[in-house]
Amino acid sequence: MANYLDGKVAIVTGAGRGIGAGVAKALASEGAKVIVNDIGATLDGDGTSNSPAEQVVDEIKSSGGEAMPNYTDISTMKGGEGLVQSAVDSYGQLDIVVTVAGILRDRMLFNMTEEEWDDVIRVHLKGTFTVCKHAAILYRQQKSGRIITFASESGLFGNPGQPNYAAAKADIAGFTKVAAKDVGRYGATANAICPRANTRMMQSVPDTARELRANRPKDREVAPPMTEMHPDDIAPFVAYLASDKASNVNGQTFLVYGGTITKLSLPRRTRTIFKQGRWSLDELNEMAPEHLTKGLVNPAPSQQSN
Amino acid sequence: MGNSLKNKVAIVTGSGRGIGRGIALLFAEEGAKVVINDIGGSVEGTGTSSSPANDVVNEIKQNGGEAVANYDSVATMEGGENIIRTALDTFGKLDIVVTVAGILRDRMLFNMTEQEWDDVIAVHLKGTFSICKPASVLFRQQKGGRIITFSSISGLYGNSGQANYGAAKDGIAGFTRAAARDLGKYGVTVNSISPGANSRMTSTVPQSSRDLRAASGMGMESQSAGPIPLELNRDPDDVAPMVAWLASDESADVNGNIFHCAGGQISLMNNPTEERTLRKKGRWTVEEIDAMFPGTLGMDMVNPSPKQPPKK
Repeated sequence: MANYLDGKVAIVTGAGRGIGAGVAKALASEGAKVIVNDIGATLDGDGTSNSPAEQVVDEIKSSGGEAMPNYTDISTMKGGEGLVQSAVDSYGQLDIVVTVAGILRDRMLFNMTEEEWDDVIRVHLKGTFTVCKHAAILYRQQKSGRIITFASESGLFGNPGQPNYAAAKADIAGFTKVAAKDVGRYGATANAICPRANTRMMQSVPDTARELRANRPKDREVAPPMTEMHPDDIAPFVAYLASDKASNVNGQTFLVYGGTITKLSLPRRTRTIFKQGRWSLDELNEMAPEHLTKGLVNPAPSQQSN
Repeated sequence: MGNSLKNKVAIVTGSGRGIGRGIALLFAEEGAKVVINDIGGSVEGTGTSSSPANDVVNEIKQNGGEAVANYDSVATMEGGENIIRTALDTFGKLDIVVTVAGILRDRMLFNMTEQEWDDVIAVHLKGTFSICKPASVLFRQQKGGRIITFSSISGLYGNSGQANYGAAKDGIAGFTRAAARDLGKYGVTVNSISPGANSRMTSTVPQSSRDLRAASGMGMESQSAGPIPLELNRDPDDVAPMVAWLASDESADVNGNIFHCAGGQISLMNNPTEERTLRKKGRWTVEEIDAMFPGTLGMDMVNPSPKQPPKK
């Protein structure tokens, strides 16, 4: 228990369980008053329940912190606006927004239904926009504030069976970079976290998808086993980003798991071919394989020759 | 006139004008039969007209190529399926899908309406899914096919005033990476183009935004890439050759990549890389992070939009 966030008011969406619950508790233990938002749905977005949010609020209160439950569906503008309003009504201000709420509906692209696509995009992407937009109005006026969104390596690197989730999470990364530019000049910041943790959401990933993902090209650091990555490990860095100490950290994306915090770069141009004027296809046929795409690894090579 | 796409059937969404039109014309020149899809709306996505698509079809036919027009909106699943059906009904098969259709509705985050958000996400993101999904069903069965999506530097780096567009375009990049992994094993490739071109769409970007972006170093990645100048002489038609190459049999094993195409410059973009890492055994405390961060991860970190002093 410290006081990095004394006098601050925070909203954490999806805070009834998993990473969001850890973030809400950490913000509270640093002195913030927290609106614990959770619709209390199942992992694929069905049903509602007040108990997950209430439980986290009870825990915060019994540790001497201040918190209020909120059960709003953030995937509507009204929900996002109401959530921001509830912070202002309950605690008179809003300083920090952390958008963790999310659902999973994994399916290979060729089998994915419109509903599986729409629901995942709606909860993750619209649910990030609805809360951040209304927070941004306040932040601009008060010349300060924090937005911390949740993206994913799935979006930045690509996992099979998650075209909806990968799109939504990459969407959030793109959204956050723009939000950082829109609110930065008013003294607010927006940053994104890509978490790895052993949560309810990750446990729902089918074994076949796990195997596929384990077999992908070894162009990335080998991850420690999932069981060593506790959801609560994400919270301290979120609390740091939410504090005044991080007032000039803006527009960044961080990968966080266990005791690891990594700053991710933006995509860069790694190889370039250049000529004056337009390329012809004959020229590309000659130059592209030699200078642009040589040595590239196909992440899912064709298996038809077998 | 070449023949690197001879006997292929292609769909190009948003091909009534600009970048899409250039791709459709080159595809036809290279021997492909092309479905010219364009709803014929304004840049903001309002109104419809059959004439942009018809004009491109006529141009292709006059040059001795084969093309058919389609006016469906890509923003619905029915629209996406209708466009695929047009290809199958007219030309009997489908080999290539290029998703260029897009609209712009720039607004600062704190002023953006739900409608401005929803419309941009619907056309770009749902409009990419609605056509790639039914195409992927065919491509999986026939063990071959090409998907080329359009993401944007706006999404990869973030432009002020484009929270909707930046989200949609980065989402398409994420979608492309996942789709490449879903379809690669069936002999299909999925790649994305981040175009730099002076088109009808970019001409709507207000001067104030241009100034803001220039001041903050648009596309800033000073160490390795250098800023990408906004006003280079970049014809929308310059994007087409790389798209045609990715659509051809020459690029059969190029899958899951993003290429930035602007004028005569074509670049391979990498995925985000792990730049700097802080690591300890067990969980960090906020105090520990506070002590370590500024001298490690936070070193040389550039705020892309630093706080402005109050106006006099």
